[in-house]
Amino acid sequence: MILNTYGNGFGLTWVLLVGAVTIWIPTTVARGEDWHRWRGPNSDGISRQSDWSTRWPNEKPNIAWTQSVGTGFSSIVVRGDHAFTIGHQDGQDVVVCLSVSDGREVWRYGYPASLDDRDFEGGPTSTPTVDGDRLYVLSRGGDLFCFDCVTGELVWQQQIADLAEVRLPGWGFSASPVVIGDHLLVNAGESGAAVNKQDGTLLWSSADRESGYATPVLIPDSQPTTAIFASSRAYIGVDIRSGEKLWSERWLTSFNCNAADPILRGDRMFLSSGYNRGGALYQFVDGQPQLLWKTKEMQNQLHTSILYQDHLYGIDGDMDAGARLKCLKWETGEVAWSVDDLSPGGMSIADGKLILITESGELIISPATPQGWNPIAGGQVIQGKCRTVPVLSGGRIYCRSVQGAVVCISCRD
Amino acid sequence: MSLNRRSFITTSSAAATLAWAPKVHSASKDKKYRTALIGSGWWGMNILREALAAGQTKVVALCDVDSDKLELAAEEVNDLCGDQPKTYGDFRELFDKENIEIAIIATPDHWHALNTIAALNAGAHIFIEKPTGHTIGESQAMLAAANAAQRVVQVGLHRRIGPHHVSGMEFLKQGGAGNIGLVKMFVHNRGGKETPTKNSPPPETLDWEMYCGPAPLRPYNRMIHPGGFRHYLDFANGTLGDWGVHWLDQMLWWCDQQSPISVHSIGGRPVRGEAVLNELEQTSDAPDSQVATYQFETFTAIWEHRRFAGDGPEKSSVGCYFYGDKGTFHMGWRDGWTFYPDDPKKPVVHQNSDLQEPDGHNIQLLWADFLRAIETGKKPVAGIEVGHQATTLSLLGMLSMKLGRSVRWDADQQRIVDDEAANALLRREYRAPWVYPELT
Ligand SMILES: NC(=O)c1ccc[n+]([C@@H]2O[C@H](COP(=O)([O-])OP(=O)(O)OC[C@H]3O[C@@H](n4cnc5c(N)ncnc54)[C@H](O)[C@@H]3O)[C@@H](O)[C@H]2O)c1
Repeated sequence: MILNTYGNGFGLTWVLLVGAVTIWIPTTVARGEDWHRWRGPNSDGISRQSDWSTRWPNEKPNIAWTQSVGTGFSSIVVRGDHAFTIGHQDGQDVVVCLSVSDGREVWRYGYPASLDDRDFEGGPTSTPTVDGDRLYVLSRGGDLFCFDCVTGELVWQQQIADLAEVRLPGWGFSASPVVIGDHLLVNAGESGAAVNKQDGTLLWSSADRESGYATPVLIPDSQPTTAIFASSRAYIGVDIRSGEKLWSERWLTSFNCNAADPILRGDRMFLSSGYNRGGALYQFVDGQPQLLWKTKEMQNQLHTSILYQDHLYGIDGDMDAGARLKCLKWETGEVAWSVDDLSPGGMSIADGKLILITESGELIISPATPQGWNPIAGGQVIQGKCRTVPVLSGGRIYCRSVQGAVVCISCRD
Repeated sequence: MSLNRRSFITTSSAAATLAWAPKVHSASKDKKYRTALIGSGWWGMNILREALAAGQTKVVALCDVDSDKLELAAEEVNDLCGDQPKTYGDFRELFDKENIEIAIIATPDHWHALNTIAALNAGAHIFIEKPTGHTIGESQAMLAAANAAQRVVQVGLHRRIGPHHVSGMEFLKQGGAGNIGLVKMFVHNRGGKETPTKNSPPPETLDWEMYCGPAPLRPYNRMIHPGGFRHYLDFANGTLGDWGVHWLDQMLWWCDQQSPISVHSIGGRPVRGEAVLNELEQTSDAPDSQVATYQFETFTAIWEHRRFAGDGPEKSSVGCYFYGDKGTFHMGWRDGWTFYPDDPKKPVVHQNSDLQEPDGHNIQLLWADFLRAIETGKKPVAGIEVGHQATTLSLLGMLSMKLGRSVRWDADQQRIVDDEAANALLRREYRAPWVYPELT
């Protein structure tokens, strides 16, 4: 039934893709790479894994297991046999470690936090970060934790808002902590803060102004090593050793909601936010961003777009008003295509395919090409509202609903 | 309809053209109006975009008390048309310094009267957002000032001109639903208990003192600005004062601007919980549910809103039902209009909506009508009288709810009959130095 919606081209497209997969295998890297952090191993929303398929029995997503983790938006990260996320249950936030094979809970850690459901369903909004055998977690209220991934033991804990003496943004902290060398970067304050990842001691902090909601992004090969922090009113390049501001690109958004991560390639940087703000591409000239083009056609309210080959794939528009799935040309910002009636709830890319979950819980796989949206497989996987990115790791796709259902779909025969 | 019309408007608006009708400009399409936007928030920018798209607007000035909003708006205007508007934090200074032909006003409701009167005094034509006042006295003063100034005033009631509204009204007026005995206007959403949000110092970019203006200066809270003011009675009048104005206006359009004989309303916050306002934190204070009854000579109109429970068994969450002896007519929003005959064997009649995005409105047509009115001297479809009357009905509902009893309205005298306590609520105290607009 559901598969009817993927059109008549299903069989044909699939055959073509099988061909494509065999061609691409030699160039594919790191088959076993875990999706161990927000935006995946390369921080670009793309998994390089190719040994997965959607040749599901009965042509419906093959649900391996389902687990309930509590209310929230936190996405799933994986380390070997374990998957991690956060949810709000029974009046507290809970960090859970699940077995990837059967969804069984391996360990859990609860900490006091309110649901804080004023403008949305509430619960945690940031995604944990795996680094080696450590797991870093940031709560909306600013509690920052380091756990042992295997045992769930608490290694250290800090209250970052108190430690850095900065205020919480309106909806609380939502960025993932980012590990660079010994630094753990946290988007708190005007242009971030850094603690020592070993013991949580403060390395530097920034002015007491509202942060934005996006996760810090490292500029590859930068000298000095630079990360970009979203504040409530700008995207700011920061020397991660000293915390010194190197440049700042003013970026005003209604409700101070700078939530999409900057996207970098070569000397280019793409910024975007919702509430009718839109997007813009910059080029770094003498270390300073200079505007190349602007568009209203890509307004990323909550979700960062994905740059794949020469196109940006993203969710355009405010979620409550009904957002669109769009593909834009990176060079010019021209719209290659747009699907207006899909209600996308989150998306990643793996091996050239968009892995998308609709807001109502339908998982859809479609080749990521500027030619158009041509789903090749999919089906209903969750009952509930979905706004969390579905991710692929180790041949499994992990989806999550706001209400806290985590569904694992097996993509290996 | 054989209705006995009893309206102060029918007499004053009998003439189809305004007395001061200017000569018709023939090459008027080339004319660019020097335009200012007061309140460059969400809806203000929706209007300004339509104004720019119509091609006869030169944006010379923007005014907002939030400098971030100003900067964003100025950048967008520049991107859209190359204009480089001057930016102001105080509308008085703007009208002093700039020579404005058209003022678009989209501030929170409690500012509408003072903004409009200042713009009229500066000689501008006005596109003002509904409601036309936060208390009835303000709306009366705006009406008087507009009539005295002989300028075109268009109120942002775009549903007066939206294609499905026009065709639906035609259907009703031709008797499609038969003889109408009851009208129900409604808006329903979801929601639950409201927990208080912590107050905070206003952002450095916001002139909170000027935001509050004539309203009491309350502690700043991020839930109020932007957009949230509509649920705080110091600044607006909740759902009835917001959505209610649109649907009351549809009802008034259908009944040819009759006036109700009496109004009664009850409402409260049974689900959201009692309003909180202290130094540390606050909630909104508008009713989460409310019913208002408008008794007309030959029919009854009822308003009902709920900010909880969703649509339930109903097909639609907003609009007006016109109940006639041939069936039920639903005037909706995105869902267009639908007529359900009382005889289930007869076919349902439906018309889709034809709206502009974002946010599903018909400002494009309303703006075109506004320009036409300026150029030809014809009355605009949603002139100040129309806006005043719809606003008055919504505010009478709020007034009755606060007063705890029904009120009888004398539209000719613009007074509540035999109830001085009620008449005292037609206006409110302003915070100094602002002075309540008096009827001139
Ligand atoms: N016709 C419709 O369909 C429709 C739809 C939405 C809103 N509206 C109306 O538009 C108005 C604005 O609503 P909104 O949702 O855009 O709110 P908003 O909060 O987004 O915008 C209002 C703006 O006015 C500014 N402001 C406050 N005091 C000011 C002053 N003294 N001078 C200049 N600017 C000032 C605020 O800073 C804010 O930016 C309301 O009256 C509302 O009823 C009408």
